[in-house]
Amino acid sequence: MTNELLEVKNLCTTFATAGGDLRAVDNVSFTLGADETLGIVGESGSGKTVLARTIMGLQARRNATVAGSVKINGAEVIGTSEQQKREIWGTEVAMIFQDPMTSLNPVMRIGHQVDETLRIRMGMSKDEAKKRAIELLGLVGIPSPEERYDVFPSELSGGMRQRVVIATALACSPKLVLADEPTTGLDVTIQAQILNLLDELKEKLKMSVVLITHDLGVVATRTSRIIVMYAGRIVEIGSTQDIFKEHRMPYTRALLESAPKVSNPSHTRLVTIAGRPPNLLALENGCAFAPRCTYATEKCHNERPVLEATGNDGHMFACWNPLTTRRGEV
Amino acid sequence: MGQYLVKRLVTLVGILFVVSIGSFYLIHLLPGDPAVFILGLNYNPVTKAALDLQLGLNHPIYLQYFTWIGHVLHGDLGTSFISHQTVISTIGRALPVEFELIIMSQILAFGAAIPLAMRSARKPDSALDRMLSASSFILLSVPTFILIVLLVLFVSIKLGIPNTGPSTYVPFSQNPFTNIMSLLLPSITIAIGSFVLYFRVLRSDLTGILQEEFITMARSKGISQRRIMWRHAFRPASVSLLGSAGVNIGGLLASGFIIQVLLGIPGLGFNLIQGINSSDYLLVQGIVLVVSAGVILINFMFDLIIFFVDPRIARD
Amino acid sequence: MTNKNRFTTLFSRFGSGTDQTDTIMKPEKKPPLGTMFWVSVGWVCLNIFLAITANLLPLKDPIAQDYNAISVGPSMHYLLGTDDIGRDILSRIIFGSRISIAVSFGAMFIAFGIGAPAAMLAALRRGRFDTILTTVMYSLLAFPAIIATISVLSFWVPRNLLKVIVVIGIASTPLVYRVIRTASLAVAGRDFVTAAKVQGATDRRILIKEILPNIMPILLSFLLIGIASVVALEGALAFLGLSITPPTPSWGNMINESRTVMSTNPGLVIFPSLALCLFILSLNFIGDRLRNYFDVAEVKI
Repeated sequence: MTNELLEVKNLCTTFATAGGDLRAVDNVSFTLGADETLGIVGESGSGKTVLARTIMGLQARRNATVAGSVKINGAEVIGTSEQQKREIWGTEVAMIFQDPMTSLNPVMRIGHQVDETLRIRMGMSKDEAKKRAIELLGLVGIPSPEERYDVFPSELSGGMRQRVVIATALACSPKLVLADEPTTGLDVTIQAQILNLLDELKEKLKMSVVLITHDLGVVATRTSRIIVMYAGRIVEIGSTQDIFKEHRMPYTRALLESAPKVSNPSHTRLVTIAGRPPNLLALENGCAFAPRCTYATEKCHNERPVLEATGNDGHMFACWNPLTTRRGEV
Repeated sequence: MGQYLVKRLVTLVGILFVVSIGSFYLIHLLPGDPAVFILGLNYNPVTKAALDLQLGLNHPIYLQYFTWIGHVLHGDLGTSFISHQTVISTIGRALPVEFELIIMSQILAFGAAIPLAMRSARKPDSALDRMLSASSFILLSVPTFILIVLLVLFVSIKLGIPNTGPSTYVPFSQNPFTNIMSLLLPSITIAIGSFVLYFRVLRSDLTGILQEEFITMARSKGISQRRIMWRHAFRPASVSLLGSAGVNIGGLLASGFIIQVLLGIPGLGFNLIQGINSSDYLLVQGIVLVVSAGVILINFMFDLIIFFVDPRIARD
Repeated sequence: MTNKNRFTTLFSRFGSGTDQTDTIMKPEKKPPLGTMFWVSVGWVCLNIFLAITANLLPLKDPIAQDYNAISVGPSMHYLLGTDDIGRDILSRIIFGSRISIAVSFGAMFIAFGIGAPAAMLAALRRGRFDTILTTVMYSLLAFPAIIATISVLSFWVPRNLLKVIVVIGIASTPLVYRVIRTASLAVAGRDFVTAAKVQGATDRRILIKEILPNIMPILLSFLLIGIASVVALEGALAFLGLSITPPTPSWGNMINESRTVMSTNPGLVIFPSLALCLFILSLNFIGDRLRNYFDVAEVKI
């Protein structure tokens, strides 16, 4: 399949730290087509944010080495200069950042932050850009956008700020949007609003979205495919349906089980995953999840599992001792 | 916003008031009859009686203060018994020199510090950055007077220019060229000290800011590095730069006497030391008041500028 | 866990709270103090040692004038040369250091002795005590300390060491107050202080056990920088003749005296200047490194 919107092949991001080499992203591969929504799920420290930034090419820390290939609209991103990457940033691919409190410049008015790309990248005049910016602010649901154009970020609430972030990211109508935990820092009620907003905009502007989160509830209804990450590796990938109903990897099940359900009777014990996230500097041989897995076998501790396909289209998992039952069954 | 301004103005007036009391009271801190200090060698029963009358020295102290402050607000700081000139006129002649020194040195300092700090922050740990950071740290530890002495040493010995004796200063209106030349050495010396401070503050701030999330977000919009540095990073960084500038320039006003005495530049500090050496108390008192008030006003001005750059300050 | 000392444990509470960004767990690594740090410490200790033991050392008399050896350069007999009236530069530098060290340490002792406890107490108590004291201190702060210092020193004659120390010390107190109070406020607001209060701990106990250890890095660092700046200040004052009167040598007045004979006897300028600058530099360096050392920050990835 040529001309997928996004093609990631064998991507590895390694940080050289004082304690050794740290593989934050370990051999990740997947593709994304137009008008698709992909969810990437994992705990904190699973490498999902690093993955997002590496895909964009934003990883500029000097101690980071990136290997592999990322093609956006057929054009390679890895290994190109910052100048070349700037060509596609904002116009073809954009990122929605996690924390609205810190992702907006506190001393710049929000209107200017939104229309900056319009003026610089799309060559609009000041007035044209301002008009479009006001439209965008309205589109993301900010009331009285003409008045709000001149305010500073500190004058807005968290939810409003995140809308501004979205407006800024989408200003030039990029086809690919990477949303890195866009609702994590917000109130639960606002979360739903923002996610719905993203869905709307996705439809309207015909974008593909990579939705990164630790919250399974978020991806359940809004994505067509899901990647589950652990310790920087893909442990399972498939359609949303498959992941929820026919997952094979015990970690996936553990994630699903640990999400509290409203429908459970009160005082139901919360299910947790035993142990703690692995120390990426001291990964042992074998499956990264093995120390915490209730199904772990000898082989799991010694050999690192590779991705194998199931019968279903596009569903793959990495486990020596996969679950063979559907969820809910014993 | 207006509320903030009003609050600040009130505080300003309050502080000026306190400072005026301090300046006034300075003489009364010391044991002995103030008249002795003021009249100096001219002290005799006749002059003492006249002085008592003029300053109300035999009245209670708060009354003396009000008489004095009344005079001050009318622009009358007294007439020196030593130089027989009004204090105001002496100060008036010294002020332009002071301004020129400050303006010249700060233009040099900012002109060097800002671009170099931006360069350094953009490429940390480069050869340039390391050299600048190390030398600025070392220079920080060299007191101003030593800097001047060493510079004069260098200039007079290496370049053969004779050691400048008493003032070679000439007012701008008289001869612009000589005027600037005579202030060049002191300006450069002051500029070095200021540069070191501004460079360190700006570089450290910029480095911190460049790691902030909003910079990454700005990058992700495809904006050029140049624009990010100047449009996105410089603005927040300028806040602490302006803060340091305010304190520094205020400090220049207060500690300028060292350089002025050394090189014979007739600014406020020079006159202050001369006043001290000739026991010209009224002059000293007047200069202390003017300098203190000046420092406070400068700080206030910079606070205002900072407020316009970063309105968050008001909200704190 | 790597071995931590008391300060780093306490300071881990102050780690910059990066909540949502993916911070990868890694062993804590503090920037090493480095060789230059210990060199600086050594230099400062050497200066202090020499100052204290000056009388016992085999040095030439600092005020003895040898007319046979006027303005000689460094030689076997006079290790750093002599000044323009035949006095040994090396011994004058060492004896001169006593003034700089005495004044700087003494003045900072006063400033911290008064300013620090007052600041910590004000930060803890808040209320009227804090408001009044802080207003007073901030108003004093508005008054340029250097002007007040030279004014008072110029009129309060005859000058002696004690007066200089007292005047500089008191003039520095408002600044110390401000810095320590700001630091203490950050700590006093924390929950562990409230917890101690609720347990019925006296103010004194809280100050000593909870607040003091937590502000120690800032306090130490500022103390060192303060000492350095008083050394510079005293040098400037001596230079202007406003400090101790000659013939007692001090670094400042040595440099002052050198002005007239700079071209013929550069050693007279260079050596005391070097002594002064190196001492200040060492103090600044130590203070700076300590501040870096205690500033445990996480690396964002």
